Amino acid sequence: MPTILIAEDEAHILRVLAIWLNRHGYDVLEAPNGAAALELLDHKTVDMIISDMNMPVMDGLELVKTIREERGINVPFLLLTARCDHDQLAKRMEAYHIHLYPKPFVPSRLVADIDSLLSEAKAWG
Amino acid sequence: MTAEEVPRWFGLSIVLIYLVGLGSVAQFGIVQARREGASQFQRGSRYTVKVLGERLSALNGAGTADPAVAGAYQRALHEFAANVPVRWLRVVDDERRVLASTDPSQINTIVGDDIPRDSKQAIREVMSLPVPGQKAPDVLVRVRLTLEVPTPQESVDDQPPRGGAVLHLEARLPPEPFGVSGPADQARMLAIVLVVLGALFVVYRCLREQLRSMSRIADRLQSHRDRLQEDLGSLRIGDSLDGVTTAWNDLIDLTEGLSESVQHSEADEELSRVLQCSWGGALAEALSAVPDGLIYIADEIRFEYMNSAACRLFGWNVQDAKGMILPEARASGIGAKVLDVLRGALQTDGSFEVRTDVLEADDKTGCDHSTYRVRILPLQRDHHTGECVVVIRDVSQQVRAERSREEFITHVTHELRTPLTNIRAYAETLSSGMFEDPNVITECYNVITKETRRLSRLVEDVLSVSQLEVGTIDLQIADIDLKTLLSEGVRDVRGLADDKNIDVQLVLPSKVEPIAGDRDKLAVVINNLLGNAIKYTPPDGNVVVGCRFTGQDVAISIKDNGIGIDPADHGRVFEKFQRSSDPDVQNETGSGIGLYTAREIVRHHRGEIELISEKGQGSTFLVRLPRQETRAAALSTAKEA
Repeated sequence: MPTILIAEDEAHILRVLAIWLNRHGYDVLEAPNGAAALELLDHKTVDMIISDMNMPVMDGLELVKTIREERGINVPFLLLTARCDHDQLAKRMEAYHIHLYPKPFVPSRLVADIDSLLSEAKAWG
Repeated sequence: MTAEEVPRWFGLSIVLIYLVGLGSVAQFGIVQARREGASQFQRGSRYTVKVLGERLSALNGAGTADPAVAGAYQRALHEFAANVPVRWLRVVDDERRVLASTDPSQINTIVGDDIPRDSKQAIREVMSLPVPGQKAPDVLVRVRLTLEVPTPQESVDDQPPRGGAVLHLEARLPPEPFGVSGPADQARMLAIVLVVLGALFVVYRCLREQLRSMSRIADRLQSHRDRLQEDLGSLRIGDSLDGVTTAWNDLIDLTEGLSESVQHSEADEELSRVLQCSWGGALAEALSAVPDGLIYIADEIRFEYMNSAACRLFGWNVQDAKGMILPEARASGIGAKVLDVLRGALQTDGSFEVRTDVLEADDKTGCDHSTYRVRILPLQRDHHTGECVVVIRDVSQQVRAERSREEFITHVTHELRTPLTNIRAYAETLSSGMFEDPNVITECYNVITKETRRLSRLVEDVLSVSQLEVGTIDLQIADIDLKTLLSEGVRDVRGLADDKNIDVQLVLPSKVEPIAGDRDKLAVVINNLLGNAIKYTPPDGNVVVGCRFTGQDVAISIKDNGIGIDPADHGRVFEKFQRSSDPDVQNETGSGIGLYTAREIVRHHRGEIELISEKGQGSTFLVRLPRQETRAAALSTAKEA
């Protein structure tokens, strides 16, 4: 069963994502910020990471950099953001191979996209 | 008469008059010369004949009939005629008989008396100009010699002879070559006249243009006599630029230039005087009260004036600043950067370019940098280079506000999208039919309700800020039950408090009077303050809401035991788009408009919000509102506010 790590400071969003992913057969690890997510990654292996952009303590951008550059974890990374400057952000984060996902989102569509990303990742090995 | 109308005859008439005058003078000179010549000739002739007469008289005692005497006379006459240019000489007695003559045919003949009797007539005859082609008449001169042959006795007594013969010595002289008579003289005279005429013509040609130009100048001066001061350029002559008019125009240009220079000089002196006066005068005091730094740089890039604000920025005092030269100027802090900007704006020709630079001062405290906008405004005055005015304005607040605005947009966007995300996600969870667990369904409803309220509050805040920005906030004043207002406020944040297990208590006196105000706006105030109290209070904390009536006002208190606010940030937290620099605050999401909105609403009720807080020791916000006796009074107050 694939495991997905969710880093999100908004408890309700974290909760609804967990409900939907559990319903679709994923194990979910929950973290309220980037720092907590890194702690979880110290002793857990995940198949995918979903993170909010704006979080206290450590935001999504810093989490991505740490994961890609320091931890060398190359699992699919889905960055949720409420920001408007998607194009600029995508360009900045191009080297980290992440997927930007805008808020507000539709949970069913998000789950479908997650399925696709994981299938794709699995196909590439 | 204009310059163009100067007639040609004007010059010719001058020449003619000159020639007539010259001719008259020449004629007069000639007449005088001839008169003098004739007179001299007459005198000479008379003298000559007289000398001869004396010689004849010396022929002692000879009688006229005596052939020997006649012969002596004859020899004397011939001898004398050999030395004197006469046509003939003769000796005539009273009866006009020729006793002796150089003309032998006249001897013993009776001759007529055709000699002028007086000298004037003789002179006139001499002076009569010869008719061209005719021979000039001879001149007859007679010396009436009374050659009385004395007796020997009488001759011895040296008495005049008596009874002797009275003889007349007469002579015919050829015309003397004096005066103008020959063709050579006439040709010479004509040549002289022609040369003089030619010279006069050349002089006239040379003078004609100059006279014409001078006439134009005189005409222009006459016609513009009344407005020379105002319009010196109207004296300039535009056409026919010969030497004189060109020189005249150059003179006008020079005069205009000098006049302009004098005016500039006077203006400079006035400016210098004003500046000199203003340096220590009322104007200087006024300029020193201006918060912007003002610098006037005069010619030769010299600091001529700096107001107090500029001196402070440069670390100079007023007296040291005056007269400082830009290349030699040294300053500290932001002044050094301004000097660098000035030197960068200085052109190679000594003038300044228009520039606006934004400079950040190095802040030693490590907090926010002060930001200054430096504007260099060159003065556009002729004959002056290197003059400019420098305005240094502290725009730190504007820069901070702009940054805060950007952060506000970011925060508001985030704040809006977050409840929207929740509402949408939980609504789809409900509508999908995939989740039948009653707890999940209940949770969905609760979240949707809570997030809808959160969204509404945020929209209210943003709207309030917009109304406050444009000054269109409109208070709906009514009597408000304060107990209800506070109870509903506590109820609205109960969900947030429960999430963090924060105890929210409402502590009210036994009697709570109604107050006058805008219920919805004051609800926003209570909600914002309570929301902040819960947001910045750690889990398991507590928040106490209360109120107290005093003589003049009512104080609503919201007290928490949260992270507290550093006193240094007390003023800042109420500013629009500003948040505390405390990292604990920065870690929480927020739009930065909650406290600003609350304070502005309270101020529109003629109240004030007071903050009592220390870092780490919780915070108390006191909302002081005036006790309004009537709604009408409150309305009046609100309108005034």
